Amino acid sequence: MLKIEGLTKHFGGLAAVSDLDVSIGPGETVGLIGPNGAGKTTVFNLVTGFLRPTKGRVVFEGKDITTKKPHYLAGKGIVRTFQATNIFPDFTVLKNIVFAHYLRPRISFWETVCHTQSSRRKEAEILQRSHKILELVGLEPVAGTTAGTLAHGYKRLLGIAIALAAEPKLLLLDEPFSGMNAEEVGTTMQLIDRLEQRGLTILLIEHNMRAAMNLCQRIVVLNFGKKIAEGSPEDIRENKEVIQAYLGAGEVIA
Amino acid sequence: MNKRILIWILSYGILTVFPFLIPLFITGPYVTHILILTVMNIILASSLRLINLSGQLSLAHGGMMTIGAYTSTLLVVKLGLSSWVALLLAGLLAAVIAGLVGFPFVRLKGIYFAIVTIFLTAMVTLMAQQWRSLTSGSYGIYNIPRPDPIVIPGILNITFTSSVNCYYLVLVIMLVSLIMLYAIEHSRIGLTFRGIQQSDSLAESVGVNTAGLKVLAFSIGCFFAGITGGFYSQYIMAIAPDTFGFLFTVYILIYMTVGGSGKFIGPILGAFILTILPEVMRPLKQFQPFFFAGVLMLVIFLMPEGIVGLPGRLKTIAGRLFKEQQERA
Repeated sequence: MLKIEGLTKHFGGLAAVSDLDVSIGPGETVGLIGPNGAGKTTVFNLVTGFLRPTKGRVVFEGKDITTKKPHYLAGKGIVRTFQATNIFPDFTVLKNIVFAHYLRPRISFWETVCHTQSSRRKEAEILQRSHKILELVGLEPVAGTTAGTLAHGYKRLLGIAIALAAEPKLLLLDEPFSGMNAEEVGTTMQLIDRLEQRGLTILLIEHNMRAAMNLCQRIVVLNFGKKIAEGSPEDIRENKEVIQAYLGAGEVIA
Repeated sequence: MNKRILIWILSYGILTVFPFLIPLFITGPYVTHILILTVMNIILASSLRLINLSGQLSLAHGGMMTIGAYTSTLLVVKLGLSSWVALLLAGLLAAVIAGLVGFPFVRLKGIYFAIVTIFLTAMVTLMAQQWRSLTSGSYGIYNIPRPDPIVIPGILNITFTSSVNCYYLVLVIMLVSLIMLYAIEHSRIGLTFRGIQQSDSLAESVGVNTAGLKVLAFSIGCFFAGITGGFYSQYIMAIAPDTFGFLFTVYILIYMTVGGSGKFIGPILGAFILTILPEVMRPLKQFQPFFFAGVLMLVIFLMPEGIVGLPGRLKTIAGRLFKEQQERA
């Protein structure tokens, strides 16, 4: 489904990502892990078009998408979440989701400005779908709350919900569990599990090792922009190089 | 529910009809002139707010008005077009130019966008000064005809030789503009603008062509500036390159900010108050820039949401005082 070939990005003299090859099949959940500064988020930015690679190609469903803009890629079904700015703080939770339905269904300029019958019908449809998404992620009780005032865990969930509203085929989650407490991590893991069961393809950046190991069928480990290992969670857990680079020598994970 | 709709219609009806009645009670060329300026400033501040809605601070309004004024003037004077067609084309040309320069401009964010729009205003002024064969340079163009009369044989014959009729005309332009701006703001496009303002990368990630929509907001806002500029030149019957300079543009920004850019009514209130107030204090007219700067600073420090944010702010202050009193008791 997604194929990354020889992807390289230099920031000045620094190679943030060098010669990375990853491929993801439909319905797969792949984890991208690595220490801070390993270039994980840079890979996300390159795949989703927020950055242009120095070298290499990104192919999605057989088409080269290397130089495409983020909004175009969202239309093709590649949607990401962000680590930091991941919600519209001044909108209510519901409005956040309504906003994210920008492309599907598309409402044209004149339709919406003239408030035509067809635009009203589409708006109603969007509202209905938005409520469904809020139910799915468990944010329905806070639908009317201003998003900026939500607790951190809820904000993170809303970030995922916004991405879901754009109806992705490939969902890229940038550290969905960061800053969550144990209970929230549990709920979010269940949510991602459910998305997997629906057949969504997911690429996941994660620091929380247990969550990554549990969720992903395959894990890619980055260090200093290079892929140092790839394989099933079990393989990764025992890979010496990974333990050295990422987990620190001599440490054992639960 | 029905009662609410009735009250809504009544209040808006009165608000709409009231400005049309003013010339019946207060007359005189000076008052009419101030009224026309007020209405123009309302259009300008409100259209500036639409650009602001998408997270951009534009100072191109002066330049766009100059473009509109020269376009409509030249079309009427040199090509003999109907003043109405010329007025519409003035707005459209401003919108097209805004659309063309918009694409490189919107790559800049925040204050950097503001800076290039200042340059645009300065450049348009310079061009009007230097392109003498077309604009007759710094002398400007005089004896521009007033808008063509609206004639429906046997029923209607409206001429615009009197300032009062010009006032009615600009009032109609304002109403149409405000309805259009309101419809845009309360449509999905308006929602998208506000989303872009909060986080353009997030909007982009769910499929919004943020660059295109920012240009659209800029272009629509400049359309109204072009129309207003065209109207003003027809009303004053003259245009010079520096009529709508940098200071004029900053004033529009001040109207919007002081009134409050958060609500639709904000720029309307701001433009109204800040156009009338300096006229009341006529003897201090030469200190107007100082006065505006002072008002702007006071508003930014004391009520960052502008005049429209005042009721809410008073409420919280009153609530706090009330609570303190209760605690003391």
